[in-house]
Amino acid sequence: MPDWFEPTARYMAEEGLKGTLRIAAFALVGSTLIGIVLGTLLTVRYRPTRSLIRLYIEIWRGLPILVTIFIIFFALPAVSAQLEFDPFTAAAIGLTLWGSAQVAEATRGAVESIPREQHEAAAALGFGWVGRHAYVILPQALRRLLPPLVSLLVNIIQNTTIAQVIGAAELLETAERSVERLTAPPPIGPAEVHAFEIYAGVMAVFFLISFPLTRLAAYLERRLV
Amino acid sequence: MRSPPGRLMLVAGFDWSFISENRDELLAGLGRTLLVSSIAVAGAFVVGLVLGAARAYRIPVVSQLAAAYVEIIRNTPILVQIFFLFFGLPQVGILLDGFTVACLALVVWGGAFNTENFRAGFEAVPHRFREAGAALGFGRFGTFLNVSLPIGGRIALPPSINTYISVVKNSSLLYVIAYPELTTTALNINALTLQTVETFTTLAVTYLVVVWTLSGLIRLLESHLALPEPS
Repeated sequence: MPDWFEPTARYMAEEGLKGTLRIAAFALVGSTLIGIVLGTLLTVRYRPTRSLIRLYIEIWRGLPILVTIFIIFFALPAVSAQLEFDPFTAAAIGLTLWGSAQVAEATRGAVESIPREQHEAAAALGFGWVGRHAYVILPQALRRLLPPLVSLLVNIIQNTTIAQVIGAAELLETAERSVERLTAPPPIGPAEVHAFEIYAGVMAVFFLISFPLTRLAAYLERRLV
Repeated sequence: MRSPPGRLMLVAGFDWSFISENRDELLAGLGRTLLVSSIAVAGAFVVGLVLGAARAYRIPVVSQLAAAYVEIIRNTPILVQIFFLFFGLPQVGILLDGFTVACLALVVWGGAFNTENFRAGFEAVPHRFREAGAALGFGRFGTFLNVSLPIGGRIALPPSINTYISVVKNSSLLYVIAYPELTTTALNINALTLQTVETFTTLAVTYLVVVWTLSGLIRLLESHLALPEPS
C-alpha cells in the first residue's frame, strides 16, 4: 500500500463513514415514524387532513433533496435565528422530510390493501379507531411495507452524500477533503493527485453497503407480497 | 423594504422586486436545467430501451454487461458519480467540461434505472403474444417491433416516467460542478443579493411548478397510452 493510503482510509472510515451512518440512522427513524403516522391518517376520509397531508407529500417529493437541504440550512436562519441548524442536523431534517413523504405514500397503499373485513372485525371486537389501527391493521400492513422500507434505507444512505454540499463531514466530504489535502504542496500535503482512486473507493464503499440491501429488498418483495 | 412590524415576515417582508430584477438570470438557469434534462431523458430512453430489451431477451454478453452497469449505477450515489466523472477522471487524462459531465451523468444514471423499467415491461408481455407474432410470420425482430415494444413499452411507461422526473430533480446536483443550471444560478444570485428568503422561495416554487406540471402532463399521456385492458 502506498504511503497516502492508510491515513486517508482511516480518516474516511472513522470520520466520514460514521457521519454518513449517523445522518442515515436519524433520517430512517424519522421518516419511518412520521411517514407511517401520516400515511395512516391519509386513509381517513376527511377532506382537510387529507389535502394537508397530500400537500406535504407532494412538496417534499417534488423538491430536489438538495433544494430542501438548502432551504433548511440557508433560508430558515434568515427567517428566525432559532431555526439555525448545523450541517448534520439540516441534512438529516431534509432527508427526513423527503423520506417521510415516501413512507407516507407507501403506508397509504399498504393500509388500503388490508381487506375491509379486518376493520369491521376489529370494530366488532370493540376497538376504537386508534386501537383498530395499532393492533390490527398496521401490524398486517407493516409486512407489505417492509420491502419499500428497505429500498428507502438504500436511497437514504445514498442521498446522505448530498450533505456534502453544506459541508457535513460524511463520506463524500471526507473524500473531498482528502483529495484536496493530498493535492496540496509539501508543508500540508504530498502534492499528489489521487482523486480517481478516492472517488472510485467511495463508490465501492457505497456499492458494498447498498448491493446486499437492494438484494434483500427484492427478496422480501418476492417473499412477502 | 419597510416591513410593518407584527406581521408575518414571510408575507409582508417578501421583496417581490427580487423576481423582476433577477428574472433573466433565473430563466436562463431554468432553461439550462430543462435543456440538460431533455437531453438526459432522451438519452435515458434510448439506453433503457436497448439495454432493457437486451436484458429481457438474454442477448449474450450484452445482457451480462447491462446487468453489471445497472447494479453499479443503482447502488452508488449519483453525486459520487458526478464527482468521479468531473474530479476523478482528469487524473487519468479524461477531461470533460461541465456540460458534458452534466449530460453524461444524468444519461448514465437515468439509463440504468430505465433499463430495469424496460426489462420488467418486456418481461411482462405474455409469451403467447410473441408466439402469436411468430405465427403471423414475423421474425424475432419483427415480433419485438410489432408486439413486444408496443405492449411492453406501455407497461414500462409509468415507472420510466418516474425515472424522468427524478432525472429533472437530480439535475440540481450539478451545482457541485458549478454547471449554471437553476440551483447554481439561484445560489449565485443569493451570494450577490443576500436575499435568502426570496431566493430559496423562488427556487423551490420553480422546481415545484416544473415537477408538478410534468407529472400532470404525464398522467394525461399515461391515460392516453394505457393498455385498453390488462393483458
